[in-house]
Amino acid sequence: MKTKISLLLMLFFSICSVAQQLEINGIVTSESDGMPLPGVNIIVQGTSRGTTTDFDGKYIININRGEQIEFSYVGFITQTVTVENQSVINIVLQDDIASLSEVVVIGYGTQKKADVTGAITTIKSEDIAKTPNSNVVQSLQGKVAGVQVVSNGSPGSSPTIRVRGVSSFRGGNNPLYVVDGMFYDEIDFLDSSQIETISVLKDASSISIFGQRGVNGVIIIETKNGKQEQKPVFTYNGFTGYQNAQNVVKMANAEQFTTMAYESGSQADIEFVENAIQRFGRSRINPNIPDVNTDWYKEILRVAPISSHSIGVAGGSEKTTYSVNASYFSQDGILDMKNEYERFNIQSNIQIDLSDRLTVGTNAIFSNATKYNPENGAWFQAYFAVPILPVFDETNMDATPIPYADASLLGYRSAQNPFPAMTFNNNQLKIRKVLTSMFLEYDLIPDKLKFKTSYSHDYSTISERNVRLPYFISGQSQRETSNIRRAENKYSNQIWDNTLTYTDDFGEHNLTVLAGSSYRDQQQNLFNATGNDIQGIGLESSWYLDFADPTTFSDQVNEIGDRFYSFAVFSRLEYSFKDRYLLNATIRHEGDGRFPEKLWVTTPSVGLGWVVSNENFMENSGLFNFLKLRASWGQLANGSLGGSTGTNTISTLVTSIGDTPTNGFLATSTFRNLIREILEETNFGISTRLFDNKLNLEVDYYIRDTKDLVLPRQVPIISQTVDDNIGEMRNQGLEVAANWSQNINDNWSFSVGGNITTLKNEITQIDSDQGYFDTGSAAFRQRLIVGEPVNAFFGWEVDGVYQNEAQVAADPTAQNELTAIQNQLVPGDFIYKDQNNDGVIDAEDRVVLGSYLPSFSYGGNLNVSYKNFDLSVAVSGQTGNKILNRKRGEVIFTNDTNIDAEYAINRWHGEGTSNSYPSSEGRRKAWNQRMSSFFVEDGSYFRVQNIQLAYTIPAKALGGENMPEVRLTCTAERPITIFSYNGFDPEVNDGVDRQTYPVPAVYTFGINIKI
Amino acid sequence: MKNLKQGTKQLALMLSFCVIVFSCNDKLEENDGQLAAGDVDYTISEDMNLPLIGAYSAVYSRGWEDPILIGVRGDDVNAGGLGDQQPLADTDLFIYDNNYWMYNQIWENFYGDIVRILSARETIQLYQNFATEEEYLDRADQYMAECKVLSGFTHFQMSRLWGDIFIIGSTDIALELENGVKTKAEVMQYISDLMDEAIPFLPNKRPNEREDVLGGVTKYTALAIKAMANLELENYQGVANATGEIIESNKFMLYPEFYELFKKPGELSNESLFELQFSDYNTEDGAANNHLFAPFGPSSWTPAVEGASAGWGFYEPSLKYIKFMIDRGDQTRLVTSVNFTPRGIDELMMDPQYASLPNYISNTTLDGDIFNDYPRAMFGSGKHYLPSNQLTAGRTSYGSSKNLIVIRYAEILLMHAEALTQGASSSAMTADAAVNMVRGRVGMPSLSGVTNDQVMDEKFAELAMEWGIRYFDMIRLNNYDELSYDGRTFTADKELLPYPQAQLDLLPLESDNN
Repeated sequence: MKTKISLLLMLFFSICSVAQQLEINGIVTSESDGMPLPGVNIIVQGTSRGTTTDFDGKYIININRGEQIEFSYVGFITQTVTVENQSVINIVLQDDIASLSEVVVIGYGTQKKADVTGAITTIKSEDIAKTPNSNVVQSLQGKVAGVQVVSNGSPGSSPTIRVRGVSSFRGGNNPLYVVDGMFYDEIDFLDSSQIETISVLKDASSISIFGQRGVNGVIIIETKNGKQEQKPVFTYNGFTGYQNAQNVVKMANAEQFTTMAYESGSQADIEFVENAIQRFGRSRINPNIPDVNTDWYKEILRVAPISSHSIGVAGGSEKTTYSVNASYFSQDGILDMKNEYERFNIQSNIQIDLSDRLTVGTNAIFSNATKYNPENGAWFQAYFAVPILPVFDETNMDATPIPYADASLLGYRSAQNPFPAMTFNNNQLKIRKVLTSMFLEYDLIPDKLKFKTSYSHDYSTISERNVRLPYFISGQSQRETSNIRRAENKYSNQIWDNTLTYTDDFGEHNLTVLAGSSYRDQQQNLFNATGNDIQGIGLESSWYLDFADPTTFSDQVNEIGDRFYSFAVFSRLEYSFKDRYLLNATIRHEGDGRFPEKLWVTTPSVGLGWVVSNENFMENSGLFNFLKLRASWGQLANGSLGGSTGTNTISTLVTSIGDTPTNGFLATSTFRNLIREILEETNFGISTRLFDNKLNLEVDYYIRDTKDLVLPRQVPIISQTVDDNIGEMRNQGLEVAANWSQNINDNWSFSVGGNITTLKNEITQIDSDQGYFDTGSAAFRQRLIVGEPVNAFFGWEVDGVYQNEAQVAADPTAQNELTAIQNQLVPGDFIYKDQNNDGVIDAEDRVVLGSYLPSFSYGGNLNVSYKNFDLSVAVSGQTGNKILNRKRGEVIFTNDTNIDAEYAINRWHGEGTSNSYPSSEGRRKAWNQRMSSFFVEDGSYFRVQNIQLAYTIPAKALGGENMPEVRLTCTAERPITIFSYNGFDPEVNDGVDRQTYPVPAVYTFGINIKI
Repeated sequence: MKNLKQGTKQLALMLSFCVIVFSCNDKLEENDGQLAAGDVDYTISEDMNLPLIGAYSAVYSRGWEDPILIGVRGDDVNAGGLGDQQPLADTDLFIYDNNYWMYNQIWENFYGDIVRILSARETIQLYQNFATEEEYLDRADQYMAECKVLSGFTHFQMSRLWGDIFIIGSTDIALELENGVKTKAEVMQYISDLMDEAIPFLPNKRPNEREDVLGGVTKYTALAIKAMANLELENYQGVANATGEIIESNKFMLYPEFYELFKKPGELSNESLFELQFSDYNTEDGAANNHLFAPFGPSSWTPAVEGASAGWGFYEPSLKYIKFMIDRGDQTRLVTSVNFTPRGIDELMMDPQYASLPNYISNTTLDGDIFNDYPRAMFGSGKHYLPSNQLTAGRTSYGSSKNLIVIRYAEILLMHAEALTQGASSSAMTADAAVNMVRGRVGMPSLSGVTNDQVMDEKFAELAMEWGIRYFDMIRLNNYDELSYDGRTFTADKELLPYPQAQLDLLPLESDNN
C-alpha cells in the first residue's frame, strides 16, 4: 500500500512541477579510460522518464528541480545526482568492481551476472555491427570461446554454428535462437543494426530451461527498443561495399594440362588434345598445345556488391515504449550468374503499461527476401573443365542461343563448360516470414509474484521457382524443352508460454522461483509441381505453370506435410546467500509427438557458485577485484533428431508396364523408432577481474557426454541406413577468454582481447557387431570408431611415391600376390604404409586420417582509440582439422578432367621429381585413387577476420547540439586468410570439399547517423 | 491482504489456463503426413497389384553400370570409354581392385532390389490374409510367385559375379544373415528350387500375352531362370528339361527381324521371356521411366534425326568378335551387334587378312545414323543402340524409351542345344533343330550333327554383348584360352569379382573371394 501512495504522490508532484522544467545536458565518460560512454541509461528516479547518451556520451534531458537522475550502464556503478541549479552535469562512471548490477538474459528472465553459475558469453552491439553480413551470427566468428562459426559464401545462406563441438550425429547442430523471448531455429530475418546484445549459453545448466530445442546451445538476442519518456531518436545505419573471391585455386593451365595428358599413357586423352588443336588452332608459343588457355575460376567469378540500409525511430512516453524500423539488405554472389539476395524487413515493437501491474506488448517482424540460388555445381565443374576448352566456340554452329564451347565435341565424356547451367537455369526463392508475438504480464503480488503469458506465431513461406530454359550446345549438353518447377513450402510454428515468477529476499538470502509451461505446435506443408514446355519461355512474365503443356504434369505434382506437437512444464530455483554462495537448479519435463517410443522426458540441472572475492578473507587482496568459482551439471534431451516413423511406411512410385505409366508402391523394410539422445554436461569455470579491473578473465572446462547417441546403422545387404540409439559420444574442452582494457591518456586508449578453445571429440561407445560404423560414401570412407572423433576420415596412409623399378622390386608390399601385383605397380605410384607390417597392403592397413573438427581454435581483437578515431582488428584461426579434397578425389568417377596447378606441377614425372604426388598415369589407377592421406589435407588457417577504422564526427562539429552525430566506418572483412589446403577456402562445413561456395573478402564503407 | 486475495483469483484463472494447455496433450499421439504400412487397407483386394508393380519397378530401375560391369569381361566386348573409368578397363583386363566404386554399387543395387522384392511379396501376403474371394486368393498366390521369379533373377546375377553370396529370403535381414554365405552351387540350387515353387502359380502365357501386367514374368520366365541356374550347376539334364518345357509349349518364336528385335518394333515380342521395360510414354516431354543408355552410345555421331544425343563410348565390341563374325559371314548379326566407326574399320583393315572388308561393314547404320570417330572406342554396341529415327519426337536422350531384353527364346534354344551336346536328352527338340532355328532367322545355312563347340560358337554369335552370357559360359567351361585374347591372360583365380571393400567392412564375408 505504501509504495502505491508514494507513487501517486510522485506522480502528483511531477504533474505539478511541469512549469519548473530545466534542460540539462552533459557528457558521461568512463573512469578507467576517460572515453565517452554511448548508450548510458539516464532515468529520472521514481519516474519512467529517461534517455540514453549518444555516440559521444552526450545527453540532453528535461528535468524538474530537486529530482534525482540515475545514470546506469552495464559494467559500471550506477550514479545518482540530484538536480539543483546545474545546466550541465558531466558524469564519470566507475567500473563496477563486482559487476553486481550487470544483468544477463537467461531463459524466461534475467539474472545478475555475478549470480551466474553456468557458461554464458555476451557480445555487444558494437562488435556485431562490424560484420557486413546478412546473418547476425556470422559476427560471432572468432569472438566466443567454444563457438565455431563456419561461414557460408552464398548470399543469404546461413553459416554453420557449432557450440562446444558436435554433440549429435544425426540431429542438427544449429543452436536455438531466442529473440526477445521468442524461439527460432534460424534468424535470417534479423538485421544486424537492430541487435542490442547477443548472449551465448553454452553449458547444460544454463540451457536446460529451454528443453530439447536448446541442446546445441542457445543464443539469446535482445533487439534495440525505445525507453519510456524518451524523445524519438531517429537512426540511420548503412554500408556499401564489394566482395572479392580470395585465395582462388590456381588450376593447371593449357600447357601443364597438355603435359599431363601426354604423360597419362591414355591415347584417348592425347587425341582430345589434338582435337582441340584442330578445332581451336595451335598456340604460337608452344605449337604442341591448343591456342586456348581458359582459367575457369576466373571466368565464373566476379566482384560482387553488398549493401545495407536501415532506418528507424525509437522512443517512449510515460507508459509506452516503441521502436519502428525498416531495413534493406542486398548482396550479389561472387558466382557470375543470377545469384543474389535481397531482403526488406519491417519491424515494430510496442509495450504499454495498462496499469501499474499490467503490461502488454507486441512485436512484429515481416521479412521479405528474394534469393537467387547459385548453381553450386559450377564450382565443381570449373575445377574439372579442361583449360583447352574456351568459354565460347563460334565454330559450334548448331549451338543456340549462345555458342558455348563443349568438351564432348573434343571427345570428353561430359560437356564440362559450367556456363550453360549458369546461364540457362534460374533458381528463385521468395522467402517471406511473419513473426509475431504478444505478451501479457501481470504482477499478482507487486515486486514478488509475476505472471506472464506469451504467444508467438512464426509463419514462413518459401516459394521456389526453378526455371530451366531450352538450349542446344551439343548432343551431350542440351535441353529440348523448357521446364518450371514450382514449390510452395509453408511452415507454421506456434508457441504458447506461461510462467509464474516469485522473487523475494529474507535477510541475506535471495530467492527467485520460476514455474512455467510451454506448448508448441509445428507444422509444415511442402507442395511442388513441375511443368514442361512453357509457352513464351523467353519472357519472365510467362514463367508460370499455367503456360506449361498440361499433359506434362503427370507424376510431377507432389505434396507432403507433417505436424507435431510438444508440451513441457519446467521450474527453476535461483538462490544466493550473502552474495557469496550461489545455487541455480532447473528441471524440465517435456513431451514430444515425434518420439512415440518415449513421449516424455525429464531433464534436471544444477549449478553452484562461490564468489570468493566477497569473502572476508579476500577483502584486502590486491590482486583480485572479483573472483568466482563455478560448477554446473545438467542434462538435456535432443529433440532435433527428426520424426521417428515408429513403423514401416509406404512410398508410391510409377513404372512403365507395356508403355503405360503404372502406379505401385513399396513398403519400407526398415523404420526408425528413436528415443531422444540425452546430453549430460559438467562445467567448471572461473570468472575473475584483476589488476584494477583491467584484466577480465573467464575460464571454462567442460565434459559433455551424449548418451543414446543416434547413429546411422547400415543395414547389411541393402544400401540403407537406419537411425538407432546405439552410441555414446564425448566432447570436452577448455575455453579461455581474456580481455585487457587500458586508458593511456586523455586521447589514447586501447583494449586487447583473446580467446582460445580446445576441443576433443570422441566416440565413446558403439553398439555394433564390427565395433564401428561406416559413414561417408564407400569411395570416400569415413568411420565412427570408439576412441576416435566422429566421422573420422579413414583410409590408407601414403608413405611416398615409388621412384624407380628397383624400389618397387625391393618393396615386399609391392610384390605381394594378393594386392599389389595385380595393380602392376610402377614408379610414380603411391607407397602405402604397411601399418601392421604383414607385407600386404590391404584393408587392415587403413587408419584414421583425421577429423573435420578443429582441436584448437582461437580469436583475438585489438581496439585502439585516439580522439575521434577508432581502429579495431580482429583475427581468428583454427588448427587440427582436416579437409577431404574431394575435388581431387573424384578422379575415380571421371579421370579425363583438369587438375589444380599444384598437382600438375608437383606430379611425379621421373625419379626424384616428387615424393608426394603420383604420376599423371598413376593418377588414373585405382591403386592411387583409394581413400588415402593424399586426399585428406590439413585444414588449419589463420585469418585477419575484420579491420575497421571509424571516425566519429561530433554533433558540435556539424554546427551544434541539434545536429546529427555521424560516424563513418571503413571495414575489411576477412581481408587475409593463410592456409595450406589445396582449395579455395578452408571453411568447409563438414570437412568434405566438393562444391563449397567460397567465402569472399568484403570491403565496405559505412555511415551511421543519429538524431 | 487484498492483494493476496486478488492473487488467488488470478491463480485460479491461471490454473484453468493450464488445464486448457494440458488438454492438448493427446495431440502428442498424432502422426500427420505419414502413411504407415500398417494403415494400408488390405481388405481392398484389387490394390494387391500395387506392391507387385513396386517389385517390377525395383528390378527395372537398373544403374547404368549394372549391365556393363556384368558383361565387360567377356571376349565379345571391351570396356571402351578409354581414358575414363580406368578401373573398369582394368576389370576388363582381369585386374580387380575391391575399392572400385562400381563393384560396391552393383552389389548394393542388386541386394537392395532383392529386399524390395521381398518386401513387396510380404505386402501381397498381407492382402491375401484379408482377401476372401477365391479370385483374389489365387491372384495373390500368382503375384507372390512372380516376386520369387524376380528374386531368383537378382540372386542369379549376384552369384554369377561373386560366386558365394548370402541368400536373402525375407526382409528380416539379420535372421537371413545368420544362415551365412552360401556357395555358388547352393545359391543356384536355391534359385532352381524357388522357380519350382513359383511355377504352379504362374500364368501359362507368354509375357506379352499377359493382360494384368503386360510383359510381366510367367511360368516360362521361371523355367528359363531355372534352366540358367542349372546351366551354372552344369546339370545339363535339368537345363534340357526346363528349356524343353518352354519349347514344347509352342508359345515362343523368334522375332523375324533380328536387327529390329533390339529396337522399338521388337519390344515385348513373342521371343521375349523377360524384358526390362522403359518408356517415355510417347510424349515429347513430361515424366519418363528410362534406362540410361548413354554409356553405350557413341561419343560422336551424326544422327539421322538432328539433335539426338550422343553417348559416352563405353562397351566396345571386340575386334575378336568382329573378325569371328566376318569369318562366318554372319552379316545380320554382325551389323546388329556392332556399330562401326571409320577408325574401327581402319583398325580392322590393318590386319592383312581383313584388308578388304565386305561392303555391309559401314559406319552408317541401317537407319542412317553415322558413327563418327571418337577416341573412347572404335565400335559401339548395336544391341544397346536405338536409331535416332525411333526416338519419340521431342526426346533426345540416347536410347530414350528403349527396353532392355534380358532373356529371349534364342537363348533358350541354344541352352537346349548346349545341354543336349553335353549329353542330356530331350524329346522337345534336337540340338540341330534348335541351332538351325536360330541360324535360320539370320540367313545362316543349316548345320547337321552340331557339336558342343559349334553350339558355343552359335551362342557367341547370337548372344554377344548380352548380360555377360559369353563370359559366364567360358568360365563355366574353364575355357580360359578364349578369354585370354588381345594380350590378356585369364587364370582360374580371376573368375569372380572380389567382394567390395565396403561390404567386407560390413558383413561376415571371407576377405578373399578367389
